[in-house]
Amino acid sequence: MLLKVWLAVLFVALGQSSFALAASAVTGEIVGQGGQKFPIAVSPLKNLAANTADSARLSTGIADAMVHDLELSGWFRVIDRSAYIESAQTSGITLGAFDFKDWSTIGAEGLVKGGFTVQGEDIAVELRLFDVYQNKERIGKRYTGRVRDFRRIAHKFVDEIINQFTGIPGVFNTRIAYVSNSGGRFKEIYVSHLDGSEKFQVTDNHTINLSPSWSADGRSILYSSFKERNQTLYLFELFSGKEVKFSPRVAGRYLSGKLSPDGQSVVATFESGGNTNLHLLDRSGNLIRRLTENPGIEVSPAWSPDGKQVVFVSDRSGSPQLYILDVQSGKSRRLSYSGSYNTSPEWSPKGDRIVYTGRVGNRFAIFSIAADGGEPRKLTAESSDSEDPTWSPDGRFIAFSSNRAGRYHLYVMQASGENQRRLTGSGGDDTKPSWSPRLD
Amino acid sequence: MKNSRLLGRLLLGAMIFLAQSCAPGTGPKPVSSLPSSGDGSKPPGDRSGEGQRNPTKEGNTDQSSLKQLQEGQSPKTPASSPLKDVFFGFDRYDLSEEARSILRGNSEWMKTNAAARVEIEGHCDERGTNEYNLALGAKRAQVARDYLVSLGIAADRLSTISYGEEIPVCKETVETCWLQNRRARSVIASGKPAS
Repeated sequence: MLLKVWLAVLFVALGQSSFALAASAVTGEIVGQGGQKFPIAVSPLKNLAANTADSARLSTGIADAMVHDLELSGWFRVIDRSAYIESAQTSGITLGAFDFKDWSTIGAEGLVKGGFTVQGEDIAVELRLFDVYQNKERIGKRYTGRVRDFRRIAHKFVDEIINQFTGIPGVFNTRIAYVSNSGGRFKEIYVSHLDGSEKFQVTDNHTINLSPSWSADGRSILYSSFKERNQTLYLFELFSGKEVKFSPRVAGRYLSGKLSPDGQSVVATFESGGNTNLHLLDRSGNLIRRLTENPGIEVSPAWSPDGKQVVFVSDRSGSPQLYILDVQSGKSRRLSYSGSYNTSPEWSPKGDRIVYTGRVGNRFAIFSIAADGGEPRKLTAESSDSEDPTWSPDGRFIAFSSNRAGRYHLYVMQASGENQRRLTGSGGDDTKPSWSPRLD
Repeated sequence: MKNSRLLGRLLLGAMIFLAQSCAPGTGPKPVSSLPSSGDGSKPPGDRSGEGQRNPTKEGNTDQSSLKQLQEGQSPKTPASSPLKDVFFGFDRYDLSEEARSILRGNSEWMKTNAAARVEIEGHCDERGTNEYNLALGAKRAQVARDYLVSLGIAADRLSTISYGEEIPVCKETVETCWLQNRRARSVIASGKPAS
């Protein structure tokens, strides 16, 4: 039942149309005057029809969702709402219908204004980005959808704002799949927006479920589970609720896997007789061919964006290190040479870098290394443990899990390691994040 | 179903008791009748866990750690168990002399109890990534199994499974706790075919 409700949410296409000419795009770095973070104001939205009891919740709710995303990006400084001069419900939302001075006075260089109309369960939202310095409109968008989807409308508009500034859309209309024990003893798989909204429980089998990852079309989640006692992989289709179990033909178990970028195959870790090796499978879990056949540990495979290579972890040197395998030739080369424990690699969407978890003393930190080798960069401090990095679909952000606040929670940072912010705050341990591709 | 499981446990307990009484001097030493605090240094992590919900049930050796997790029991092997855990160094899966000695004791019990099948579970401490630890746990279970086979235990009486870092017996982030978690645990799986 829960599934149905969530699917309905996913299925509702948000109608969207541009109704104003955007001024010439401003591309490049997002910096305000003096090289600081870009100061932006996000006005609560105006209730255009004044006919809903839900007015205050929607007016500030849509604005709050945009503020969350803008701050998470690390590029903006959102001016506190308490400083705003004009009244959101009485002033206009279009060019000429309000006074830019009310915004330049409080230091805003950018301004987001908008309005909404509720009709039954439907909502129409107009949103605009203004350039306070030049007194111009930069973006104007109109969205329609279900009232309960109002946060997704906010996420989509922030993606537009980031596109306006950088030439590449933002990644806030995405989801994160992750593992959580919710404070109990079982580990189940969940999917939610970056702001924790629209949380959906993918598994509910009261065992241990691990290693969720997305299909490139954002429609399926591959995960491993002990729900039938012996661990194996399951491919769960979010829209239909259909699930395919991967059953090896020979004695052994699948511990984890990742769908290829073209969605046609899976690289899986197969354990048999204590040895783990990489197997190439089709989408139903049938063996295409063995990629490695070594007597040690070979785990945590992740595809290159072109699907031609796989980065993985092997202990063939005596400690876990990263290797890159050419899928066609089967040849592999060692990537990581520093540190005695390097695991859970993920290849960036641009293909240039690989993030991973490395051990520093008794702690674990996130590192990134060029895909052709070189010196790794440490992205998180080793005063706590940070593990399991995953790239945003645009490669500009990395989500990971960390116990810096006691229990494990999910965090996000820029790919440089800057602007580390917490995403989840459930009562349990949230681990193994997997960032979805861009969604509709 | 609950009753039959309880009955099974009682039968098994009786069997273990008989086995211990009959075992030759080289076998596992008989222990005090109650699985109290075992070695006297109860891991502090156990206190907060759901394992305390039903402390009298703590100490089954015939249920997998996964089953015990599901039933809210501690997956800690009780001191009274005839099959002892063996422990490993961080990121290691080689058997120490002590581990071999413990496994020799386990093999003696298996020789005396020729009908028993045993599943060896590989476990890890919480450090490192889940997937690597699943592989590491598989290695630990396998080396324990292989050593038992080398001691003459029929391979079809033994099976292995890895739970990685997922079912710790101790949950504090200290080495004394981690070393209890880096274990190969033997669970009596009588009646179930070994895989």
